[in-house]
Amino acid sequence: MKENVVIIGGGVAGLEAARQLLSLGYMPIVVERKKSLGGHVAQWNRLFPDMTPTKDLMERLIADTAQANIFTETGIRFINRLKDGYNVMLTNGVNIYSKAVLIATGFGLFDARKKEEYGYGVYDHVITNADLEQWFNGKEDNRIPESPQSIGFVHCVGSRDVKSCNSQCSKVCCMTAVKQAIELKEKFPQAEIYCFYMDLRLFGKKYEDFYISAQKDYGIHFIRGRVSEVSERLEGRLQVKSEDTLSGKPLKVGIDLLVLMSGMVARDENSEIASMLRIQTDSDGFLKSRDNIYSIIESERPGIFFAGACTGTKTVPETVAEARAAALEIHNYLSR
Amino acid sequence: MIDRIASGFHPFVIPFVFGMVFVIGWCILALVRILFQLTHQDRLAFFKSLVNPKTALRNIKDIFANCLLHVKLWKRNKLLGYMHSSIAFGWFMLIVLGHLEVFIYVPHRINLFYYPIFFNYFVSEADATIGGSLLFFLMDFFLLMVLSGIVLAMVKRFRSMLFGMRRTTRPAFLDRIGLWALWMIFPLRWIAETFTAHISGGSFLTAPMSHLLVRVLGDNIPVMPFWWAYSIALCVFICVLPFTRYRHIPAEMLLIPRRNAGLKIRNARKGLAKVEVFSCPNCGVCIDACPMSVKKANIKDCTVYLNRQIRRGNEKRIEQISDKCLLCGKCEAVCQVGVQGPTIRVAQRSIRKYGLSQDYSNIDIQPLVDAAKGSKVVYFAGCMTKLTPRISTAMESLFKKAGVEYVWMDRDGGLCCGRPMLTAGRLEQAGQMIAMNERIIKESGAGTLVLSCPICYKMFKEHYNLPGVKIVHHTEYLEELVRSGVLKLEKGDTFYVYHDPCELGRGSGIYEAPRKLVGQAAMIVDAGHTREERSCGGGSLGSLTLSFAQREAITKASLADLGVNHPDAIATACPLCLATFSRYSSRPVRDIAEIVDIQSNGSE
Repeated sequence: MKENVVIIGGGVAGLEAARQLLSLGYMPIVVERKKSLGGHVAQWNRLFPDMTPTKDLMERLIADTAQANIFTETGIRFINRLKDGYNVMLTNGVNIYSKAVLIATGFGLFDARKKEEYGYGVYDHVITNADLEQWFNGKEDNRIPESPQSIGFVHCVGSRDVKSCNSQCSKVCCMTAVKQAIELKEKFPQAEIYCFYMDLRLFGKKYEDFYISAQKDYGIHFIRGRVSEVSERLEGRLQVKSEDTLSGKPLKVGIDLLVLMSGMVARDENSEIASMLRIQTDSDGFLKSRDNIYSIIESERPGIFFAGACTGTKTVPETVAEARAAALEIHNYLSR
Repeated sequence: MIDRIASGFHPFVIPFVFGMVFVIGWCILALVRILFQLTHQDRLAFFKSLVNPKTALRNIKDIFANCLLHVKLWKRNKLLGYMHSSIAFGWFMLIVLGHLEVFIYVPHRINLFYYPIFFNYFVSEADATIGGSLLFFLMDFFLLMVLSGIVLAMVKRFRSMLFGMRRTTRPAFLDRIGLWALWMIFPLRWIAETFTAHISGGSFLTAPMSHLLVRVLGDNIPVMPFWWAYSIALCVFICVLPFTRYRHIPAEMLLIPRRNAGLKIRNARKGLAKVEVFSCPNCGVCIDACPMSVKKANIKDCTVYLNRQIRRGNEKRIEQISDKCLLCGKCEAVCQVGVQGPTIRVAQRSIRKYGLSQDYSNIDIQPLVDAAKGSKVVYFAGCMTKLTPRISTAMESLFKKAGVEYVWMDRDGGLCCGRPMLTAGRLEQAGQMIAMNERIIKESGAGTLVLSCPICYKMFKEHYNLPGVKIVHHTEYLEELVRSGVLKLEKGDTFYVYHDPCELGRGSGIYEAPRKLVGQAAMIVDAGHTREERSCGGGSLGSLTLSFAQREAITKASLADLGVNHPDAIATACPLCLATFSRYSSRPVRDIAEIVDIQSNGSE
C-alpha cells in the first residue's frame, strides 16, 4: 500500500510534484477546483523564451501523472490536524488521511476592471493578456479588430501599484508583453505596436535577446511612462494618454486595440486555507514560507509544504523547480 | 423685601467684582483687537449688519438658540443638550431674575452690579413681600436646573459614552481649574442661600433646609464662609475664563454676529478665524466625527486640536494638521459652534510660499473654446471622471436616450476646475483655471452646465462667475429629466446603499436628488451614518500628506458603515468615491448615472 500525499491544486506545480512523488513511490492525490487540469498556464498559447506550445507541456504532465489519484471539480471541505498527519475532507465526500499536504494553489489574475481608467469592460477594444492568449488559442474575440493600425500594451496593470492593493512585481508580464507584441506583429505586420512601461524587468535566460529583437526586427516601440487615462473617441478608436518620461513630453496615441498586462495577485482563498491549516499569510496576501531563501517550500507547520505561485509570483521554470524540490522534501519528511 | 445691610456692601463681594472688571476689560480689548484685524470692507459690513434690523434680530435669535439653549447639541444627544442648556440657560435666568428682584424690591441698588448676584445676602424678608414667592420659586427652580446640569457634567467626565461621545479631549491644567471652579459655584451658592434663607426667604430648595438648620444650630449658622467661597469660586472661574475653554462663552456671542454679517475667513490667524478658534469649546465632538480618527495616531489632527495649536502658536503642528486634513467638512457639520475647520486649514495652506509658482494662464484654450460652441448643454466630466469612464459612458448614453444635444467640453482633454489648487492654498493658480474655464463656457453660449464630479461642482457653484448658466450636478440633472418624463425609470430589485459624497452632501447640500433617483431605479437601504454624518471614503483630494496606508483604514471603516444593512451594491455620485470604494469593496460600486442608465428608457 502506497502512502498518500494530498496535493491541493492541479496546475503546473501540483502536477509536476505529483509526477515526482509517483516516481518516489507515493500515491499523490491531486485535488483540482476546476474542470480541467493545468491552471493558468494551460490557458496560455506559447511560452517564452523558446515559444514552446503550452499544449505539449500539458500533455506531457498529464500523461506522466496518469497513475496519480486526481479529483477535478473538487474543493476542500475541511482539514483536521491529527497527531501525526492530516485528515482531509473533500467536497465530493472523499476523506483522506495524509501525513503531508502540498499546497499548490497558485495565484489569481488581477481583475483589470479595477483599473477603470484603462477602460476594461467599458470600452470595446480593451483586452487583457489572458484574453489575447485565448484568442491565440483560437477562441473568437470581437474586441480584436480585423486589421488594427496601432496596438498598445500597458505594462504593470495591478502590479507594483499600491492603489490596486498590490505592491509586488508579477515577474512574467514584461516578458509576456514582449512575446505577445512580437506575436501580434507577426499577425498584423502593418500595425504599429507601442509598449507603455515603467521599468522593463527582463531578467531571465534569453529575455534580453527577445527584447532587442522586438525592437530591431519587429520595430516595436517601447515608451517609458505609465498610461494616465484611456478614452474612447467618437469613431470608436481609443486615445491613450501617457508621458514619455525619457523625453519628458506628454503623449496622446490613437490605438485600435489595447492589451492590459494583468498581473498576478494573491488568491482570496489563501486566508481560508491559512486559517484551516493554521499557517500564516504574508503582508502581500500570499502564503508565508518559513523563510524566503532556504525554505520557500516549507511552511511553519510540519507536514505542510508549498510549491509554485501560492507563496509569491513565479515563472513556469521556477514553479517546476519548486515542485520537484517540494516532492523531494516531502519524501525526506515522510521517510524520517 | 428690605435692605439688611445699610451700606449695601460687604468685603466678600470683592473677589467677584475684581473678576468681573478683569474679564470685561479683557473682552473689550479682544474685541477691539479683532476688529482691527478685519479688512476695511469686512469691518464696514460688520457694523452695517449690526444696525440692520433683520440681521440684528437674527443675531439675537441665534445667540439665544445656540449659546443658551444649545439647540444643535440637543439634536446630537438629548442628555448632552440638557446638560449644556441647563447650565447656560439656568445661569442666564438666575442672572435675569436676580436683576428683576433688585429692580422690584430695592431699585436704588440697581447700579451695584454685584447686588443681583448676592441678592439673598443683602436683603431680609418683610411681611409685605411674601407675594414674591413666585420669584423665589423661580430662583430655586433655575438653581436646581443648573445643579442638575452640574451633576450630569460630573457624570460625563467619567462616562462620556452616556452622552454619545466615544472620545473627548483631555483638558489642559487651567481648563481643569476652570472646570472645578464652575462645578463649585452653584453648590456653594445653594449652601450660602440655604444658610441665609431664614432671613432673606427662599423656596422649595432652600427654605426647608434652612428651617432644619435653624432648629439644630440656632443662630450659630456659619453663613459668611460660604458667601466668601461662592464669591471666590466665581472670581476663579471668571479670571481663568479667557485662558481656558470657557472663553467660548464670550467668543461665540461675538462669532454669531460676524457670521451673520457674511464675513469670510481670509487669514488663518486673524479676524474671523481668530474668533472661531476662540469659540471652540474643546468639547471634542469633532474627534469621533473625523474620518481620520479611525486610526488612533490621527486623533490629534482633528479640528479641536488645530484650534488648540493655533491658540498656542505651535507653527509646526498647525502646518501638519492643516496639511493632513481631508477637508470633508464633517467636523464643521457636527460642531455646535460651527467652527469652519476646513476653511481655516485652507487659509493656513495659502500662507505657504512655494519655490516654484507655475503660471497656467498662457495655455492655449482656443481649441477648447471652439469645440464647446453651439449647444444649449455643456457637459464637463472633470479629471476624475476621465479615470472612471463608466460614469461618462453612462452619461453619454443618457444624453442620447433623453435626446439632449450637448457638447462634452473636456472630451479631448480639458482644464482642471481648479479645486486641487484651491485646496492646496494656491489661490493664484486656481484663479487662472477659473478664468480660462469661465471663458470657454461663456463663449459656448450654453444655458446649462452639467458636471459629473461633485468636486468640480462645488468649485463651479462657489467660485465661478457664470451669469445665466444653470450649474447642475448630474444627479440633479437626471432627476429633473426623470421628473419631467423625458427619462423613464424601471424599478430594479437590487438593494443599494447610497453614499453621500462629502462635496455633494455637506459641501453642496444635495441629499435628495440622488436618493430619489436610486429609490426610483432600485431598492434603497440606509447606511449606518447618512447625510451630514456620512464619513469620507478616504480618497479625498483635500489631504496633502495622508499616506495611502492611512487612507485604506478610512475607506474600510466607511465601507463597513455602508454595509450595516446588508445591501447588494453601493451607489455613489462621485468618481473619486467610486474609484476609492471599488478598490476595497466586496460589493459592486456604481455611480448613480450608471444605475439610471441601466434602468431607463428614453421617452421615444
